[in-house]
Amino acid sequence: MRVAVIAAGVLGLAGLVVATTSPHLAGAPIVLAVSTLTATVAVVGLAVQPWLARRRVRAHAATGLAVLALVVVHVVALLVLSPDDALFAMSPDGPTRARMALISLVLLVVVVALGLARRRLGWSGPTFRLLHGGFALLAAVLGVGHAVLTDGALEGAGTVVLLASGALSVLGGVAAAIRRRRVRPAVPASGTASAAGPPPRGPR
Amino acid sequence: MFVAVVWVIGVLLATSSLHGTGARDVGVRASGPEGPSVAELAEGLCAPTVSNPGGTNNYVPKAPFTDPLGQGFTVTGTVRDEACRPLPGVRVQVWAQTATASEQRNRTSVRTDAQGRYRVDSDPLVAQFGEPNVHVGYDDPGPWRRVFLRNVTRDGDTGAQVDLVLSP
Repeated sequence: MRVAVIAAGVLGLAGLVVATTSPHLAGAPIVLAVSTLTATVAVVGLAVQPWLARRRVRAHAATGLAVLALVVVHVVALLVLSPDDALFAMSPDGPTRARMALISLVLLVVVVALGLARRRLGWSGPTFRLLHGGFALLAAVLGVGHAVLTDGALEGAGTVVLLASGALSVLGGVAAAIRRRRVRPAVPASGTASAAGPPPRGPR
Repeated sequence: MFVAVVWVIGVLLATSSLHGTGARDVGVRASGPEGPSVAELAEGLCAPTVSNPGGTNNYVPKAPFTDPLGQGFTVTGTVRDEACRPLPGVRVQVWAQTATASEQRNRTSVRTDAQGRYRVDSDPLVAQFGEPNVHVGYDDPGPWRRVFLRNVTRDGDTGAQVDLVLSP
C-alpha cells in the first residue's frame, strides 16, 4: 500500500508540473487553471483509493470526499469559464469525452453516497464491495478516459501520468479482489460489519 | 445490478458522438469540408445547412468586421442557395478560440465576394473544451434562415473549410 501511495504522490506531482508548465495554461484564465489542476489531483486521488480501502478507512473516506469536492470545483470552474460550452458538453449532444465525464461524476456521487450510507444499507460485505468498489473503478476509468480524450494541459507527458493513474487504480482493485479471494475460507460472510475488508486497527 | 449499470454505460458511450452531435472535423486534414457534396453541386440541388447543437455557443449578434484576427489559420467557405448558386455580399460570422484570444472575443464578420466565397485569417486555433473548434454563422435578418455551426479541427491544422447553403 505504501508503495502505491508514494506512486500516487509522484504521479500527482508530475501531473501538476506538466499541467502548470503546459502552453495550454500559459496566459489562460485563472478558472481554467483551477479546473485543470483540481481534475489532475482528483484523478490521482481516485488512483490511490483502492489501496487505502482495506487498512486506512478514515483516509479512504476523507480522500473520497476530497475527490468529489475537487471534481465539483472542476465542473463549476468550467461553468464559470464558458457557460455555453459547459452546458453543451453536459447535454445529450455533448461529445463522447464529456459524456464519459458526466457518467463518471454521477458514479462518483453514488460511490460517496454508498460509502456514507454503508451501515444503514445493511448490505453484505461482498455486495457492498461490488457496488461501491466496482462503481468507483468505473468512475476512475471513465475519468481517465475523459482526460486522455481531452486536448489540453495534460497532453504528451500528461497522458502518461493519466494512464499510469488509471493503471494504479485498476491494479488496486485487482489486488484487493485477489487478496480477498485468498483469505475467503478463513473469513465468514460478515454482513455489514466491514464493507472494505477486515476491521481497521485504529478507531474509525 | 452492476452488470446492468455497465451495460447502460456502454450503450450511453456507444450512442454518443465523438465531437458532439452534428459536429464534423472540417480541418484541412479531414476527409472533406462541411457543405454540399460534389454530386449535389453537379445536380444544382444543394441541401440546406442545418444548425447543429452547440452552434450558438458564445455567439454574439452583429460581430464587427475585424478580419484578420491573426495569422496561421484560415477559415474559408462558399455560401450558396438551395440551387447551389453562390450568394455574393452575404455577411458571415466566424469565431474560435486561439492561444491569444478566447472564443468569446475572437470573432469577426466578413462578407462573401462575387463568387460567394469568404475568408477569415486567424491565429492558430487551440482546444476549447477539449478540442479546437470553429463556429460559422449566418445571422442577418433577411430572406434566408439563420444558421449556426460548431465544427472541430485538429491540433496543428492550418485551415478549415465550412460551406453554407442558405434556405428561405
